[in-house]
Amino acid sequence: MLEKIAAKLGACPIQYKLLLQTDKTLEERALEGKQGLSKLSLSLTCAFCFLISISSALPVFFHVNVFTYALIGTTTSMFMVGLWMLPYFDLLLSPINYPIIAHTPVSSRTYFLVKLTQILKYAVLLLGCLNIFPSLCGIFLRGDEASFLCYFFPIFYLPIAFMSGFFAIGVMTAFAGYLTKLYAIKSLRKIAKSAQFILPMLFPLFFYLIPIDFLKDNYEAVIKWISVFPSGWFAGAISIMVSTFERPEVARDLILAGVAFLSTLLLLIPLRSIAKTYSKYLAYLMESGGRPKDTLRMRVPFLARFFTSSDVYASFRLSAVYMRRDRHILQQLVSSALMVGLMTVIFFVRGIYPIEWIEYHYAIGLSPGLTGLFIFLGVSLVFGFLSSVGSSEHYKASWMLKLAPLRAQSDLWRGVEIATFIYLVLPCTLLFFIAATLFWGALGILFVLPGLLVMLYSVITYPKPESGLPLSEEVIKIANMTGCLAYGLSMIAAGALVGIQFLARLLHVWVYVGVYCIIVMGGLIGFIYHFTKKR
Amino acid sequence: MIHVSQLTKEYGEKKAVDDISFEVGKGEIVGYLGPNGAGKSTTLKMLVGLLEPTSGKISVAGYDAETELLELKQHIGYVPEEAQLYEHLTLIEHLQLMGRLYHLAEERISHKIVEFVKLFEMEPQANQRISSFSQGMRQKCLIMSALLHNPEVLFLDEPFTNLDVTTVTFMKSLLQRLADLGKTILYCTHILEVAETLCPRIMIINEGKIIADAPVTALRQQTNREALNEIFVQLTETTGIAEKTEAALRIVTETPPDA
Repeated sequence: MLEKIAAKLGACPIQYKLLLQTDKTLEERALEGKQGLSKLSLSLTCAFCFLISISSALPVFFHVNVFTYALIGTTTSMFMVGLWMLPYFDLLLSPINYPIIAHTPVSSRTYFLVKLTQILKYAVLLLGCLNIFPSLCGIFLRGDEASFLCYFFPIFYLPIAFMSGFFAIGVMTAFAGYLTKLYAIKSLRKIAKSAQFILPMLFPLFFYLIPIDFLKDNYEAVIKWISVFPSGWFAGAISIMVSTFERPEVARDLILAGVAFLSTLLLLIPLRSIAKTYSKYLAYLMESGGRPKDTLRMRVPFLARFFTSSDVYASFRLSAVYMRRDRHILQQLVSSALMVGLMTVIFFVRGIYPIEWIEYHYAIGLSPGLTGLFIFLGVSLVFGFLSSVGSSEHYKASWMLKLAPLRAQSDLWRGVEIATFIYLVLPCTLLFFIAATLFWGALGILFVLPGLLVMLYSVITYPKPESGLPLSEEVIKIANMTGCLAYGLSMIAAGALVGIQFLARLLHVWVYVGVYCIIVMGGLIGFIYHFTKKR
Repeated sequence: MIHVSQLTKEYGEKKAVDDISFEVGKGEIVGYLGPNGAGKSTTLKMLVGLLEPTSGKISVAGYDAETELLELKQHIGYVPEEAQLYEHLTLIEHLQLMGRLYHLAEERISHKIVEFVKLFEMEPQANQRISSFSQGMRQKCLIMSALLHNPEVLFLDEPFTNLDVTTVTFMKSLLQRLADLGKTILYCTHILEVAETLCPRIMIINEGKIIADAPVTALRQQTNREALNEIFVQLTETTGIAEKTEAALRIVTETPPDA
């Protein structure tokens, strides 16, 4: 069936089918020995999406109208699918097997469709998990405007929810594709690729940024403005199908439904254009980067003198370079930072935590708001980096690390840890130290130390990859279960740390001082001992 | 310098290398030849410690591969068949990485890199990422990294692939001079012309077994053939080339029935 659709879209059905089969085989072989983990990871992702979908179906119990219900459902679904699919866009933006078949008579359009099909394969699964529950719950919508067609809510809701998901992916593809096409300069192309992150964030951000009081008082006006956003269009399309016609919003819903269908159709134009020139676009990717420098000058690097082992230093430099240049690692870091940033903004703006919470403290060195935010950001970045630095597109080059006469193989991982300290832990600590100094002056350092300890320990206790070497395993787009577990444990440890401090403060201020000193001094000594001993 | 005794590598039922033994002395350049899939690269990978042998003994530069692998690695240089490199690194960063992994002092690394890059005429590419390099440049990159730490034994697996004529001539001359200085070179290739001019001694491996190990002159006498490619064809019992050529021609030029 897929071949028939591909043929109608101008692709060669035989080549399309063959390329899809080849990609599937390659994917299976890449996962050899990790199939169990892959299935578990996919199941967990689906389970998570299903849980999210439960929360978006809850408004059914609060007697919301069909439009609002559909708006919440489509916004959540579009946001989640957009965010979740980001790593898979690599399939489209820099397919690794392109140079192998570039010289064969496979048309640009066929190849583009193969890559798009691969992305949509995952999208369908996620969209299903995100929308089945809200679609079933929709049957119980009992607003004044709900028609008898609400009993068939899933039949109307599901196709439009899927359409909204495809729309989100299509917009992201077109957006990234066009920006990438526009710029011939490699660095700008990279920015264009990173700009993919902006779109999925835009969908919910507007909704969350509206102050809650304003939302209560000006509900109608707010809804009117939300309709401007894509999720509003699709919500209008659902609303028009299952609501009665005797209501004032019919015209609005009709217009929104029209915009939804029309925009989805219109999206085919840029996608078609990108598909036609896809080979040309990929050719840009193959272009060489880096500007040649005129003269060859070599200096002994400043940091080299601080390292006693050249193995550790070699690995430190290698991982530091990859931290800046490898898209797979950058993607992890950017998405971690964005997630923390977005959640923080949402929490503050929606009043879940007031912004004053950062400055609030129970005792010197005990500010759960600041420590929590510091640890949340720091540990997310640290884990984002460490979970991705074990693998690389260039993993086959690890023969160099295996061939080298390493005094201890663990030295290479130690280099990675030091790169994490210097380039992630240190800047984060400085940032929060500055903030703490603004609040509490010189005593600010005492507020930062507990968080710093959690970060240091999260680096040294992070499980090494199987080989123990950086950049030595194939990149497989599945969640790192060990990493997720370690992340969870770090957060629990951070909570426990603040909890212990708090309990100590409740007992007596001097008990608190004693506990604080033990935690900080003991923690630092333990860290130095653990880090310097042979592992 | 290289002692190999009853070396075997099995992949399931298949024996990629089957009970081979040989010795290579100090200052020797030995050509290690064989058809595709004969076991050349597998042998080399075992000798440098990238693959564990199923059985057998290896000793390189006086170090046992089983018990003194670390010392062994410090004294060897290796140019692999495929130029797999960390492509986000620049040429200089790559060479620095290799120098550090072989425990050279930073000043020495800097000095050697500058000189090597000039000699291999790669100054314009010195600060460019490897991802933008041609295959030939990558090959030069591998050769430089193999020589950076002044190894006693060099294992070269098709080192001249994709190199231009000038660089090949320079490399042949350099390898000859290195051998004169006492470096041992095991040169693995299927380009017989280079092997013929560079290697006084030839070993031929076929289906995992060494089928010839002698100086080129002795092989000529043994087979009554002058050219190395003829010797190679005779020893590896490659037959029916004329018939194969005809069959291939038929397939290439055949027209479909409905044409």
